[in-house]
Amino acid sequence: MIKEHELDKLIICKKCHTLHEKVLIAENEKAFCSECNVLLYHNDSDMLDKMLALVITASISLFVAFQFTVVSINIQGMEKSLTLTSLFMVLAEHKQYIVGIMFLFLIVIFPIVIIFATFLLLFFMKIEKAGYLTKRLLILLAHLKPWSMIDIFFISLLVAMVKLFDIANIELGVAFLAFVLTLMLDILITKSLSFHQLWEIHHQIYGSIDEE
Amino acid sequence: MKNEHYIRCHICETVNYDNSLTSECRRCHSKISSSLHDSYTKTLALLITAIILYIPANLYPILTTKQFGVNSESTIIEGIIHLWELGSYPIAIIILIASVVVPILKFLLIIYLLVAAKYKTRSTLLDKHKIFYITESIGPWSMVDVFVVIILSVLINFTGVRIYPGIGATAFALMVFFTMLSALSFDTRLIINHEKGKNFHASK
Repeated sequence: MIKEHELDKLIICKKCHTLHEKVLIAENEKAFCSECNVLLYHNDSDMLDKMLALVITASISLFVAFQFTVVSINIQGMEKSLTLTSLFMVLAEHKQYIVGIMFLFLIVIFPIVIIFATFLLLFFMKIEKAGYLTKRLLILLAHLKPWSMIDIFFISLLVAMVKLFDIANIELGVAFLAFVLTLMLDILITKSLSFHQLWEIHHQIYGSIDEE
Repeated sequence: MKNEHYIRCHICETVNYDNSLTSECRRCHSKISSSLHDSYTKTLALLITAIILYIPANLYPILTTKQFGVNSESTIIEGIIHLWELGSYPIAIIILIASVVVPILKFLLIIYLLVAAKYKTRSTLLDKHKIFYITESIGPWSMVDVFVVIILSVLINFTGVRIYPGIGATAFALMVFFTMLSALSFDTRLIINHEKGKNFHASK
């Protein structure tokens, strides 16, 4: 049986679970799985700074997306607009409590928690403080990852708009643009925020912190 | 390299030695080797719940349109046929994929993985890991139809014309929720174990 620190030199592909031995790669180089070509790890020494900047921008645009009108429609002079509050009002009016609660968590609470937790994580790792908290945040983020559906909500929004295209005048609101921006940032962040690297940096900064 | 004695922690992605001595990840202390039998039963139970919910999701209306006092209800399939007849082919195809193809595909893939954990199948270890990866990533996309109905019910909410979500929407949303839970409780070691020629009951 090999020693524990030897295990740190290995990596398992997330897609096909092939075991690889890690090799040293130069700055800005990427390592891919030999079986299925999935990105394994990436050597990017500025990752914390870049991600911190993106996360701060994303949190502002998410705030705008939730605060203002997403789209408004006009049918023969009658107007209706879609905002977060109007959405929950209508769902409550129709007594759709289960769908409402799921929507609240998948579209509002989880994305906000994810952005906020990512910000705190990067911030504390940047100033090299709060080792235990950052570890908890890394674990929390891994658990929450599959439960944010803001991208799916946006696709649904586009589908709904195409459906209404023939019968109504559609006006895009400020929040619509904010949604587009948030999604683009979200794609950038999920693409380049490597949890593999974050755990490695965590280990370098704080050493191994054990549960109390 | 052959990967038979190592497991990947699904939380912190680190490599762990697969043995019966430790049950938690060496780095993040998440549970990594709970009983495989439990994982199997849990996945199966949640999958059955999801399949049962898929029946009312299709039989009951997902949305009701109330136009000047007249109610018209439509289920998922009726909605897709209606869109197709109107000539909105791209939208009809998106809804068809999201609400019919993806859920059924996901049921079949999880059933296949559960069968493969117990009986010998022709697919390789690599294929099965890829199948599980696909199962996990397509999951949330089935929510599209539910979200569309919610958005329409907010926008079309006038005194004369009104659209609102039906029972089908609730059943459908819960179905997606349970399928995701089912995939999450599937332990990837169920895939590896059979390859080792062991029955997972013995390694409990």
